[in-house]
Amino acid sequence: MDDDRDPQLLKGVLPMLVLATLGRGESYGYELVTRLQDAGLTDLAAGTLYPVLNRLEREGRVSSRLVASSAGPARKYYVPTEAGTAELARAQRSWQRLAGTVARVLDAGTPTDPGAAPAPTDDPSRRTR
Amino acid sequence: MTTLSLRDRLVREAYLTRFSWAVQDHPQDRALVRDVRREVTATAEEIGMRAAVAGLGHPRVLAEGYLAELGRRTPRWATGGVWAGLAVGALVYLGFAYALGTLDTLLDLGGGTLTRTTLGATTEYTATADVLGVETSVSWQWLVLGAGVFAVTFVLGSRAWRAWSPA
Repeated sequence: MDDDRDPQLLKGVLPMLVLATLGRGESYGYELVTRLQDAGLTDLAAGTLYPVLNRLEREGRVSSRLVASSAGPARKYYVPTEAGTAELARAQRSWQRLAGTVARVLDAGTPTDPGAAPAPTDDPSRRTR
Repeated sequence: MTTLSLRDRLVREAYLTRFSWAVQDHPQDRALVRDVRREVTATAEEIGMRAAVAGLGHPRVLAEGYLAELGRRTPRWATGGVWAGLAVGALVYLGFAYALGTLDTLLDLGGGTLTRTTLGATTEYTATADVLGVETSVSWQWLVLGAGVFAVTFVLGSRAWRAWSPA
């Protein structure tokens, strides 16, 4: 399996994925990292996620609360706000439109019938003048 | 509640010191350092401090992540302060070096007293077998020079103009 993932691609969709994941249940920072890793973002690091969480909170798309833990220090749990839920719906629509467009463009550029799309040739006799 | 070992505290604080310097541009830099301290401490309870810190990546890269999410560039006041302090310190050092050089020269010439007036301040250098001293006065020109050097280096070092750049 090819696990190469363009970090720029991830950066663009990470806020949406965070909102979607938090929408299925509030979570604290490290738990959210592991949930996203379990979902397939295996190379996601906490250092990538925390700035995104901070921005979402600053923009009012997630809210947080500190929950005391008997096993250690208090944890900061995040949950989407109404604005965050609306943003997730908007981002999902936008992503689906983009994904559809990308799929169409890629499909159009991929020859399914080898005879239908001849490969470029260096044969001088086939060059147009 | 589990207490962190001394080594874990040192690892955490060493990381946070570097992070706090790198993230100083951020308007909420202290809150960020507090947040990262809480998160890394909580995470260390599950996977250990070294792994928790490693998960954050390089402190400068983490700081750049927070700054990138801010969407604009901000002044670096602490860096400006350091630059300005070094510049004024260099000015003071040059003054001392000049005074010591003058006294040394006077001694080589057999000793005596020399009076010089620079930027409105009169300074008397005395170097004899019994006395070695410098007496000077303060002038507004020197104060203006010091303030100017401080201000220019502070503005340049802190990129103060970023405070007025559009958000």
